[in-house]
Amino acid sequence: MSAATETAAPASSRFGTFALVFGICFAILYVVCDMAALPMFTYHPGTDRIDPGFAPARRDEGPAMYWYGWIATSALGASILGVLAALLPDKIRRKIPLALAWVVPVALLPVLIYSLKFYWRW
Amino acid sequence: MDFVLDYISVNTFWTILSITHALLAVALLGALTHQAAAVLAPPRARAAGGFVTHFRSVSGPKYAAAVCVLWVIAFIFGGWIYTKYRIYVRIPIEQEGFWKTLGSFELKEHLTTIGLGLLPFYWHLWKNARNAAYDSARKWLTIVLAAICWYAFLTGHVVNNVRGFGS
Repeated sequence: MSAATETAAPASSRFGTFALVFGICFAILYVVCDMAALPMFTYHPGTDRIDPGFAPARRDEGPAMYWYGWIATSALGASILGVLAALLPDKIRRKIPLALAWVVPVALLPVLIYSLKFYWRW
Repeated sequence: MDFVLDYISVNTFWTILSITHALLAVALLGALTHQAAAVLAPPRARAAGGFVTHFRSVSGPKYAAAVCVLWVIAFIFGGWIYTKYRIYVRIPIEQEGFWKTLGSFELKEHLTTIGLGLLPFYWHLWKNARNAAYDSARKWLTIVLAAICWYAFLTGHVVNNVRGFGS
């Protein structure tokens, strides 16, 4: 195997594509789930109750937690998209920019800060 | 886990979990900082150098698996403790009106979760550390993860100071 082939091959491996697309989509879907209130389930820590989808906090039962549900929704969506991307032909898979892995999280940072505007009280 | 509470108090149990979470975070922070320094300013030669040269002379690939494992375990512990944080820490902080502290902590949760999703690709990049095509992505993704880890560590520390052990 030539040096050129050796260095080029892993860039287009199916796992590499899955991992790249999973990471990008997970980040985007997580932010969407957070801002659009799309948890797969809601956990009520006061009573250990789990409700499917979004459920508001119940009176006298403490707060509701959506974070676990957002992670589940994002992981499922990103896994599906990652697998689909891994099934693409090699020629297309090679065209996915590797830099998206770090550019997307950095670009999402101001969006996340904005989504938390409720807390930035002066 | 209820059998554990036959031997230790509930407070002791959650304190142990919280300290373990913090210790895992320290290990992760150290590993990622070494690795980020190694990719950001690699030593020019293996000649003898001072503290800084040795600090950045680590073998990045050897840290990758440890970083992934530490991130996942620290995340699981954090997610576990989060149930108690939501009731016994966050609500009193809300009542005190420390909104920016809470917002910073929310941002920490978001960033560490996004970092978790990036770990498979991070691991893939370091597993193929000899692939020159990955150099730039590997360098910047490592730096982004190190920055997330530093932010999470400092924010966790601040929240612990506001209402942590013994409060």
